[in-house]
Amino acid sequence: MRFQDAAPDARAVVYAGIQADPLVARSTELLADANAEQRLLARAVMNGETVDAAAWRGMFPTLFDASLSTADIERSEAILAASLAVADRGEQVRSQYRGAIVEALTERLLRRGATGSAAVRRERRILFDGVRAEIHPYDVTVETPGSAAAVDCKWGARGISADVLHQLDDARTHAADEDERLVVALVVFDAERSCSVRLERQTAPHEAIRIIGLESLDALAAPLVPAS
Amino acid sequence: MQRPAPGSPIPTTLADATAAALDAYESLAALGEEVEDEWQYVQDLADAWRSRIVDVADARGDEPLPAPRATAIARVCDEIALIEDPHRAIDWLSTFPQVVLVALGERP
Repeated sequence: MRFQDAAPDARAVVYAGIQADPLVARSTELLADANAEQRLLARAVMNGETVDAAAWRGMFPTLFDASLSTADIERSEAILAASLAVADRGEQVRSQYRGAIVEALTERLLRRGATGSAAVRRERRILFDGVRAEIHPYDVTVETPGSAAAVDCKWGARGISADVLHQLDDARTHAADEDERLVVALVVFDAERSCSVRLERQTAPHEAIRIIGLESLDALAAPLVPAS
Repeated sequence: MQRPAPGSPIPTTLADATAAALDAYESLAALGEEVEDEWQYVQDLADAWRSRIVDVADARGDEPLPAPRATAIARVCDEIALIEDPHRAIDWLSTFPQVVLVALGERP
């Protein structure tokens, strides 16, 4: 099992510009230390209709209550402001920003949980002897000798598809064929209940794929790959 | 289906709030059904979240609702009434019940 940088195509070049936008870095930084309700606020606002901040404060009263600490309210305000900036980019562009933010957040949280010599990387392919390489790289990988993780990221449960599940599970089984351990996971910035609903009718193998939903994102900060 | 206009009334009890949320949710699901390839997913998703909200109503329906939480329900109903894109509606079929449940003091 070998890891390799994906060759940048036209889509990747355009997407790299979005990934490098300070708004992605700012949103990621805020969401990494946010609680589940603050992350839900970001999800709602980034895909919302209104860009009126007061309306969103009204929808999430427990995040802006005067009894909360100043630090908590300031974080919620900052998340609201950043999310409104994403929402204000227009439908097609905001979709790309949301994807970039979920990937960057996943990378950031995985770095917290990475141990020893583990390297957390983006946009990597995984190569196996005698197996044709997949076209699409994995969003984030955790690379350690003998044991690694491949993680794909989705904004919503609707993004869970047979193709995504097959690619992750195929990688896991190819790794096992080489006596290597590859943890495969799908990070979804959506409720785990919705992910379960989406998976119920999927015939693609998914029992060995770890699904990490909005409520459990902090689990990424615990080692995903056991120390070998 | 006629979609409710923004300016939803503020509910006073938890039962009123869940009833209003479920009404708004029906309209959202109807919009999401326009994406033919996702018709089954829309049904499954709506069923799952509807059941969760009904469970909360059954358990706590008689409780009064503090004004900020009641207002939150009305405002999020207003928000989804603005949605015209069926694809966005599908995304909100998951988001809306989460926001409603948090406003009611429940975990999604």
